[in-house]
Amino acid sequence: MNIIGLQTLVWQEIQRFLRVWIQALVSPWINALLYILIFGVVVGSRIDTIAGVSYIDFVLPGIVMMNVIGAAYMQGAFGLYFKRFARHIEEVLTAPFSYFELLLGFVTAGVVRGLLVGLGVYVIALFFTTATIAHLFLFIFYSVAVSLIFTFIGLLVGLWSDNFEQLSVLQTFVITPLTFLGGVFNSVSMLPEKAQMIAKLNPFFYFVDGLRYSMIGVREANVWVGFSLIVGLIVGFGGLTWYLFYKGWRLRS
Amino acid sequence: MNALEITNFTKKYGDLTAVDNISFSVKQGEFFGFLGKNGAGKTTTISAITGIGTITSGEIKVFGIDVEKEYREARKKIGLSPQEYNVDIFASVEDILTHVGGYFGLSKKERAVRMHDVLGIFELEEHKKKQFRQLSGGLKRRVMLARAMMHDPDLLILDEPTAGVDVELRHELWAYLKKINAAGKTIIFTSHYLEEVEELCERIAIIDKGKIIADAPKSDFTKDGGTLEKKYLELTKKKDS
Repeated sequence: MNIIGLQTLVWQEIQRFLRVWIQALVSPWINALLYILIFGVVVGSRIDTIAGVSYIDFVLPGIVMMNVIGAAYMQGAFGLYFKRFARHIEEVLTAPFSYFELLLGFVTAGVVRGLLVGLGVYVIALFFTTATIAHLFLFIFYSVAVSLIFTFIGLLVGLWSDNFEQLSVLQTFVITPLTFLGGVFNSVSMLPEKAQMIAKLNPFFYFVDGLRYSMIGVREANVWVGFSLIVGLIVGFGGLTWYLFYKGWRLRS
Repeated sequence: MNALEITNFTKKYGDLTAVDNISFSVKQGEFFGFLGKNGAGKTTTISAITGIGTITSGEIKVFGIDVEKEYREARKKIGLSPQEYNVDIFASVEDILTHVGGYFGLSKKERAVRMHDVLGIFELEEHKKKQFRQLSGGLKRRVMLARAMMHDPDLLILDEPTAGVDVELRHELWAYLKKINAAGKTIIFTSHYLEEVEELCERIAIIDKGKIIADAPKSDFTKDGGTLEKKYLELTKKKDS
């Protein structure tokens, strides 16, 4: 295994997003702060407790998850597309990396960015909420697992895109709406019965619910359905991304 | 042993055959000129050797190592200075070099030593903190060469390395390439400046419309007292007519 190469690739990608630290880190943190202030503090103070916890504590895991998803996706999509656009993907294609190592390098950078953003949101939340972590292992598991899924999705979009605009299409039309409909700001029990059934078909519901359980111990979804879904998505998207890397699809001419 | 051995290599892009069943080899330690018009298939062939491009059919071996089957081992042997700049333009010269050194598995210490060497060779020391985009055309070209040399490859592929380079640097580069070739490094060199190919290369192959139309020692091209340029034009025009 090309360990030094892999470390260098990860560090190069981290350096790349740290170069645009306002966009990569500060922007999602400010975004999260506004959500915490408006939905949590201002609106939340007029809402009764949900499942025995204050509204701000209930919505915080969703806000963390929303930003972890966005950061991991952006790192995968923009990181790879920028390399393709400026052609310096050729630097790594001509280096002695296996396709698995290449993928591992990109994915690690995506997870690091997702976790950095998530951790930052958590630290900000400490000023406004109790921001507890009920199950540390599960908190780490859900944060890392969802970062993995969305880095893979980002990489797939980074491979597919022909311009910068296309990178935002999935985020605008799929990721953001499904995240908002995934129970970030509400309990599914607040929805009409039919809407509850539809909500449970939304994979984002399980991501948010999992992290919520790890933070405040409140759970609405079946844990095994959520766990299987997450593992399945990692294996599915990870396998597809590796296969496309291996075939050199839109990487090698 | 041959440094490069290409056997029946074909590259197709959909219906277009960019390189059509070519075979040639480059001996270890040789200074080899690879000529052809724009779009003749030079860069496509180089891309297939280095891993940037795929191979439709045929076989390419570098020092006996198959570039597809044992691609990681093959890539360790090759350094490429491409025709077009393919770097992170916002990265500093220092970062570009240290990253590539790392990709090739050099430790931090080895990278520092090697970077010091190549920055010195290509007179880039005072520019090492500058972003690539802030450099002049000549300096950018030097960075490409320095990057190709970072891991001290056995086979150096230079795809139009002197395009946009001033006369002084061109001559310095010639002297450097002659020196490393004399020390045993195999060099594949493409250029549209035929006088430099004549100056540097021992053997020359010409590719035209994806086919090798000549492959011979330099002396064969100039034995009738003419220049390489004259012979090159004769050959490529004959092929056109």
